[in-house]
Amino acid sequence: MGKRDPLKRTAPSRAAEAILAILLPPACREEVLGDLHERYVAPAQYACEALRTAPWVILSRIRRTADPQVLLMHAFALYVAFAGAARAADRGFLGGEGGLLHLAVPVVAVLLGIVLEDAYAKPGRRAALMLSRGPAVGIAFALFVQTCFRFSWPVAAIPFRIFLDGSGMSLLLCSAIRLLFPPVANQVQGAAVPAFWLKQTGGTIGYRAILVLQSIAALVAIALTATWLSGASGVSLPRVLSILTLSGLFLLIGYQVSKRV
Amino acid sequence: MAKPDSLGQFEQLVLAAILALKEGAYGVSIHAKVQELAGPKDVSLGAVYVTLDRLEDKGLVASWLSDPTPERGGRSKRCYKIEALGERALEESAVAAKRMWDAVSQVWGKEWVKQWGRQWGKETR
Repeated sequence: MGKRDPLKRTAPSRAAEAILAILLPPACREEVLGDLHERYVAPAQYACEALRTAPWVILSRIRRTADPQVLLMHAFALYVAFAGAARAADRGFLGGEGGLLHLAVPVVAVLLGIVLEDAYAKPGRRAALMLSRGPAVGIAFALFVQTCFRFSWPVAAIPFRIFLDGSGMSLLLCSAIRLLFPPVANQVQGAAVPAFWLKQTGGTIGYRAILVLQSIAALVAIALTATWLSGASGVSLPRVLSILTLSGLFLLIGYQVSKRV
Repeated sequence: MAKPDSLGQFEQLVLAAILALKEGAYGVSIHAKVQELAGPKDVSLGAVYVTLDRLEDKGLVASWLSDPTPERGGRSKRCYKIEALGERALEESAVAAKRMWDAVSQVWGKEWVKQWGRQWGKETR
């Protein structure tokens, strides 16, 4: 092997490494930066390799920290919060063209915020209050998206009053869900306790407790949806409730049968 | 003992690389070994990280951080070792590959196997 040119850099620039360090989630920052540093040949090669590697590392971290079941619960809570706020503030908005669709925009933005906050959280246990940071980041992101819409595509933006009320309710509901089902990054992990197994065991809460909470969440969800549907369609509440309960039962039976088949 | 999940082709390569590297298995060395095993195909470092994470989640490999070293800018390596479940999964994959090879060579004949071996040798050299 030939001697290295003393004038040639043998390490990436501090600025390049600092930018990459910001982009990478803290949980895998150390080893990825070290590996790329070790493979350094030239600035262009480093930049190219960093651009090819970072997205995969981020996606892998998101896959490890995001729990689809808890995300689904968040999505439902967020939609109920924004729909409830819309119903209270302006009933005409929900019945209007694309009203329900427009409510999905802040929901998706808040969910994205929660997912990214979990992926970029430092591993280890966090204080209970810090669990609200995910929804708060999500709401800030949703506010940014709404502001962009207000200037570029006003039809898609939801009224500010609905956004404000919905955000407040979302913050409460999502924080409660996160307290009950702590993010995977918040649970103690070791080399012999992979994240996947922690997900399987449901983290710090027992299986029975999860079952009870899921049942309560399902009942609350049915009650809220029934009230909203009955208000929106004019059909009596008991009738809507019975239809929803029957549909839920059929879905549950269908799911159980499909699992056994 | 728990039954290991079946492995994808890339997962097999990464597990084989960790097994071959023994104590020296970490991001850069695993990537180099996988590149060598995958032959002419280009393998990205990111794909190796994703697969390592997935294998760790499945409980097939374990990882830990080593001490920081100056050639890495004072950063630690994440070292990997194959777990018993990973060894079993790799063994099953190797047995399945051997059976497939036997079946194919039985149908296409010994002459094909020799010819294929010569061609493969040229490509990977």
